[in-house]
Amino acid sequence: MNTQHRHLIQTERLTKTYEDSGVKVPALRGIDLTIHAGEFTAIVGPSGSGKTTLLNIISGLDKPSEGKVWLDGKPVSDMSGAELSDFRRDHIGFIFQAYNLIPVLKVEENIEYIMLLQRVSKEERHRRVHDILRDVDLEDYAHRYPNKLSGGQQQRVAIARAMVSQPLMILADEPTANLDSKTGADLLDMMRHLNEEHGMTFIFSTHDRMIVEKARRVIVIRDGLVASDEKRN
Amino acid sequence: MSLYSRLAWRNIFRNKRRTYITGVAIAIGLAALIFLDSIYIGMANNMIASATASFTGEGQIHGKDFLLTRDPDKTVSELDRVTSELKNEPLVKGFSLRTLSQGMVTSTSNVNPVLLVGINPRTERGLSQMDDVIAQGDYFAGDDPQNIVIGRKLAELLEVGLGDRVVVTVSQAGSGELSQDLFRVSGIYKFNIDDLDGGLAFVRLEKAQALLGLGGRVNEIALSFHDPRVSQDEAHPFWAKYSTGGNEAQGWTKLFPALKAVYDLSMMATWILGLILFAVVALGIVNTLFMSIYERMFEFGVMRAVGTRPWGIRKLVILEAGALALLSIIFGVVLGFIITVIVSRTGLDYTGVEFAGVTIKELIYPVMQVKQYIIYPASVLLFTLLVGLYPAGYAARMSVTGAMKRTL
Repeated sequence: MNTQHRHLIQTERLTKTYEDSGVKVPALRGIDLTIHAGEFTAIVGPSGSGKTTLLNIISGLDKPSEGKVWLDGKPVSDMSGAELSDFRRDHIGFIFQAYNLIPVLKVEENIEYIMLLQRVSKEERHRRVHDILRDVDLEDYAHRYPNKLSGGQQQRVAIARAMVSQPLMILADEPTANLDSKTGADLLDMMRHLNEEHGMTFIFSTHDRMIVEKARRVIVIRDGLVASDEKRN
Repeated sequence: MSLYSRLAWRNIFRNKRRTYITGVAIAIGLAALIFLDSIYIGMANNMIASATASFTGEGQIHGKDFLLTRDPDKTVSELDRVTSELKNEPLVKGFSLRTLSQGMVTSTSNVNPVLLVGINPRTERGLSQMDDVIAQGDYFAGDDPQNIVIGRKLAELLEVGLGDRVVVTVSQAGSGELSQDLFRVSGIYKFNIDDLDGGLAFVRLEKAQALLGLGGRVNEIALSFHDPRVSQDEAHPFWAKYSTGGNEAQGWTKLFPALKAVYDLSMMATWILGLILFAVVALGIVNTLFMSIYERMFEFGVMRAVGTRPWGIRKLVILEAGALALLSIIFGVVLGFIITVIVSRTGLDYTGVEFAGVTIKELIYPVMQVKQYIIYPASVLLFTLLVGLYPAGYAARMSVTGAMKRTL
């Protein structure tokens, strides 16, 4: 199936203004963006430029002050809280800077978590967990708790958790920030491989030059606006 | 085990010290409630038994207004019918007929007012403890109609001993004419209750009826029941059934209003204790859950971000409250049971202490009841779940991005 031209994310004059002690602070000031399925995109910019806010709004975690967002053709603003939860559960995978695995769940249970919410059958869950653990090279760590893993291993579990439910896109907020450069590079290669092999869409919010170098599209956000949008082959 | 149950169970052990402290506080409260309730019931039963089993009986039937006037002429109506029905009454364990009249007992040394009680020694044996507390002499042995049994205190006042003669003077029913007879002290009892030991004198029923001119009539039918709850239940149909034809049937709650008040107070004390326990539970649970929520704010944010619905978060926190309560309840029930069993073997010694006009005569033993091990723990669990709704709602309503910005 050719998914490359499918509009996965579309934003229209997206603005977000925070209020801090009565002072209005604009985070996004009218962002028009289209991201297609299968892209490997890095959103970069200095701290406070609005890239995390953009990611939050795209994923339905936050609401824009003005403007619209469509996810896979569906307007996010029309969705209720429960519908948004279900949409994120079924279509968006998250990778966070601090891994954010659930500490009381073992590796396989962390990966299984979203599928349990989706009520995927036990057999199917076990099959997918087994497959994804093999993909991220953590088969021997399935029964360990996160605190028994290194940072790189935890982030690989987080990637497995994000991917196992086969979402439309994966949003990764500074995924390599807490890792050493070699571990970060290995993980990035793995994500790039998954993108190329499975056609999964990756959107990074990052400062990491390594991610920027490997991304096929780089969107620079500055002062809440798209400063540049570069596509590479 | 479901996903949320597994998460909740493991989450409460993330901060073991906090969980144990909260759990122990709840458990001690529950154990105290279980133990004190059993002691209150034991004490109430003890006092009721002291008051009713000594002499009064668990219930009484009188002619209307007899208790107000103490007029010996006000006798139980339709005595044959009433006694015949009582014999066939499945609730009734035993009953005894009595005459009651104010009188004077005179010895060679002194004179003292008494309540002269005419009794049937055989039926009275099964109803009161008279025969068990004879300190000197005997309890109406033989068939001498001139025998009289008095309390030790009265014997001291009259300066009489076994075999001494006393004169009993009463006014006859109806006519009010004075009537006298000579009796021989055949027994001296000691209830250790001043009113009973100093104010009563017992003679045979037939002799008392003759002295009072009552014929075959009686002033009182004392009752005991197979089930003591009948005597406590003022609305029980038994009382209405026998409060007909000019008679009044009353249980000990009406006969001893002060004791009833003490009984009610002990039940109220259980409620107050229960409320204190529940307040401790509420504060403990709310504090523990909020601490836990604040510590895991980011985690809740992540859970919401990856697709957990608000209801899922709510459910998780409530299950954590339930798991904490369950642990506390198990510990509390075991602790309460052990303490109660230990005290059941030793008893609490308050003998001789007078309370609400009743002297405690025996050791107080705790009384175990099903409610202590079913209703109280279930109430703690239910209450905990209800209290857990507040922090659960807070966690569920948090904004995802707000939660993910906050860490301790």
